[in-house]
Amino acid sequence: MTATAELRGLRGDRAKAKPENKAAFWFLLPWFLGLFAVTLGPMAASFYLSFTDYNLLQPPEFTGLGNFERMLTDERLHSSLGVTFTYVLVSVPLQLGLALALAVLLDRGVRGLAFYRSVFYLPSLLGASVAIAVLWRTVFGTEGLFNEGLGLFGIEGRGWISDPETALSTLITLNVWTFGSPMVIFLAGLRQIPAMYYEAAAVDGASPLRRFASVTLPLLTPIIFFNLVLQIINAFQSFTQAFIVSGGTGGPVDSTLFFSLFLYQRGFGNFDMGYASALAWLLLVIIGAFTAINFWASKYWVYYDD
Amino acid sequence: MRSTDPCSRRALAKAGLLGAASAPLLASCGFGRGGEMVLSDEPVELRLSWWGSDLRTQQTNEAVAAFEAEHPNITVRGEYKEFGAYWDGLATTFAANDAPDVIQMDEQYFKSYSARGALVDLNEAEAAGFLDLSRIEEDLLVTGQAEGGQFALPIGSGVIALAVNADMLAQYGMDMPDDTTWTWDDYAAIALELTERGGGDITGSGITGGVDVASVRYWVRQRGNELFGENGDVTLDPDLLVELWEYYIGMIESGASGTPQQMVEDTGVGVEGGRLATGRTAFGLIHNTQISALRRGSGADMRLLQMPQHDGMPGNFIKPSMYWAVSAGSEHPAESSLLVDFLVNSEAAADVLGTERGVPANTEILEYLTPQFDESDRIAVDYLEAVVPGDPLIVTPNGGSNVNPLITRIGQEVYFGETAPDEAAEALIDELQGEIDATK
Repeated sequence: MTATAELRGLRGDRAKAKPENKAAFWFLLPWFLGLFAVTLGPMAASFYLSFTDYNLLQPPEFTGLGNFERMLTDERLHSSLGVTFTYVLVSVPLQLGLALALAVLLDRGVRGLAFYRSVFYLPSLLGASVAIAVLWRTVFGTEGLFNEGLGLFGIEGRGWISDPETALSTLITLNVWTFGSPMVIFLAGLRQIPAMYYEAAAVDGASPLRRFASVTLPLLTPIIFFNLVLQIINAFQSFTQAFIVSGGTGGPVDSTLFFSLFLYQRGFGNFDMGYASALAWLLLVIIGAFTAINFWASKYWVYYDD
Repeated sequence: MRSTDPCSRRALAKAGLLGAASAPLLASCGFGRGGEMVLSDEPVELRLSWWGSDLRTQQTNEAVAAFEAEHPNITVRGEYKEFGAYWDGLATTFAANDAPDVIQMDEQYFKSYSARGALVDLNEAEAAGFLDLSRIEEDLLVTGQAEGGQFALPIGSGVIALAVNADMLAQYGMDMPDDTTWTWDDYAAIALELTERGGGDITGSGITGGVDVASVRYWVRQRGNELFGENGDVTLDPDLLVELWEYYIGMIESGASGTPQQMVEDTGVGVEGGRLATGRTAFGLIHNTQISALRRGSGADMRLLQMPQHDGMPGNFIKPSMYWAVSAGSEHPAESSLLVDFLVNSEAAADVLGTERGVPANTEILEYLTPQFDESDRIAVDYLEAVVPGDPLIVTPNGGSNVNPLITRIGQEVYFGETAPDEAAEALIDELQGEIDATK
């Protein structure tokens, strides 16, 4: 029985379900309290503040749409949007591609699968951490490990993180490197594809490539969609890596000025919390728009097998 | 009664539960509702906050313990952070009406706080007899004044200096430059020769100017200009800034200084971690009191040179290294003032704190400490005494607290060749003035 059938069964038997609902309410209560106190409350506050001029030290002054008008002419905001879009649009496809490729390889029944899965998953756990960002800063420095490695091949390196031309690329690499969590989800998805489809395809003489393209990919599209939505949202919110690698500046020359980092600088560095709140809502709208487009487009390429 | 007070903890907690309603309420509380300037008989708990190294934290805790021993009813809780995080956190605690009682303050920030009524006028503390301001060096004391009040008390002073690695000069057979006469051209020529003699192993100098506020101030003051005017507006002459940037572009191109990439890597690693400390370059810009850390970090014979000259015009300035300030929201301004008094005026505190927060602004304490100085302290103090300062520094106005990161960012654009110097100078002045105007 599939999950939806199970749900239908529950719905049909309301009287029985009621006490369970009550219990569920009590179990959910702590979560609801958290949701209201630390998520919805602050969100409502920030919504109000986004229409004010608020320097943290004095009461906010209502300025209507002033903050939003200011966004139109704020060149630093525009350049931070450019950096963020580049980061999202380049790193997410690369990351998902790598995750899928490795998941397919591992699914071939490699010996020691559990070991490899853990090893590849590790960066996902560490990737957004301060320690890894510090490590990255060191590895990609002028005298870092990466340049030492290049030196072995007689290639002269550069200050990857200190050069505005390459700083963003190193952060993209860092994000791609944390492919482990989508990979694990892909692996789980691959396991659910019934073996009989492959057998049937093999009988019909389909090549491995053909089997991947005609069986694996279509049946995996819901998982790809899920990972895509999740990783895009994550990438838009990236903060730690750029904050640590650039020492909080978004430099050199604003080349790593992620949107969330710019927002943080305005709010806490410039006593400009009203504008920062408005920026936070802009980010929400952008992420919402991307997610909506994703869902709309999914009608055309995501295939549900039920 | 407290319970009717819209800003009591209980009222705030209730408002917090209502979520949405809390924001305007919290904000309307503001602060400046601190306690009276009288001592309490009850036990008092103070919070003291600072930024800085582990050494500073250890020394401060020790000084605080001595203070607590003198005042049995006062306990002091220390809070410390790294410089950048400190300011982010401090602004937030003020917004939450939960600021520490005694705050270590910086020249670039203090007017942003005092102009918004966030700090206690220490003249009141002096009038009440809790704090003595009379022994603080007059030129420094004025840098803590604003709108007719003494909102911050300078702890110590510092001046910018060129640090030079004497071992490295000796290694490459160069003489120590005569810093009583040398000019900017001499400096560039010496650095270039050093780079050439180094054969690619070193660069003569780091990029010692144009990406930080101190070097810009020095350069323009030598040419009769100031970064900020008395009225709190930007008075920086864009042509002088262009000249400064072009000077360093010349040094970068000739190889006299390191590359912009190396400069970026050096920012944020501290004076002990940069290329000067690791023996990759011979000249770097520091504050005189950083010489201890630099000598310790490098293990080399580091010395201080007076900055290069320009037409004999004194450009240097004695900068308050940092201040103590008391939060206007403090419930115990009297005890807080006693703590500040102890930290800057007592020999017991001086014995522990030494010159770590700068050469003491209290002239008697400086005299008291002089016989105890080690070599690094002596280099720093001798240097300070040899400096011929120009006019007193005009403190960063309200809204200008972002000036250093701004100069860093736009200076980098120039050195990486992304923006032409003249365009960048105009952009910098516009943006800085814009931030200041936004607070008016």
